[in-house]
Amino acid sequence: MEMTREMEDTARQIGERVRPQIEEAKRRLAEMNGQVTGFIKANPGKCLLGALAVGYIVGKIASR
Amino acid sequence: METHEAGSPSGRRADDGAASFGERIDRMSHTAQDAWKRTRGALDDIKSTADIEGRVNRHPYGTLAVALGIGYVLGGGLFSRLTGRVLGAGLRIGLRLAALPLLKDELFGLAEALGKGGAEPGASTGSHARRRGKQADANKEMEP
Repeated sequence: MEMTREMEDTARQIGERVRPQIEEAKRRLAEMNGQVTGFIKANPGKCLLGALAVGYIVGKIASR
Repeated sequence: METHEAGSPSGRRADDGAASFGERIDRMSHTAQDAWKRTRGALDDIKSTADIEGRVNRHPYGTLAVALGIGYVLGGGLFSRLTGRVLGAGLRIGLRLAALPLLKDELFGLAEALGKGGAEPGASTGSHARRRGKQADANKEMEP
């Protein structure tokens, strides 16, 4: 019983310590996702051609 | 000089040649313009039919992944070792994910069975022991 309570306390402390970092990482990832999707939507032709070229190069390398 | 050449049959031929050359160039430029217009029209048609911008707006990452895949196939990577590895890994992960619920059920069933098996010795002190005692009494009565 005592051990379980200690483990729960430790887990809670770790969670409280890590939670702000996770929130920050989540916020940054969401921001980055918004920037990337915005760029893709603003330049669809460039992005599609770039992806096509990258896929072609990877395919060429893989087929060797 | 010109009048002399124009008067002669060779001068007339040269004029005809220059005229036909100019006509040819005109025709070629017209044809090239027509071809360019048609190509642009075809590209516009393809764009409007495929609705590329709409697709990119709706699914930006998916469209990029499709373009990447098309490029990969065009690059000849379809029948390569990398494709085999990627497909193998995907198949393995998929099978594991599909088999996980079944395994979980089996494990839960096993754990329940083990739990019941573990509880039986305790139960034998109760109802099972009582039943065994009654059976022993009945056996004693039956004995001559």
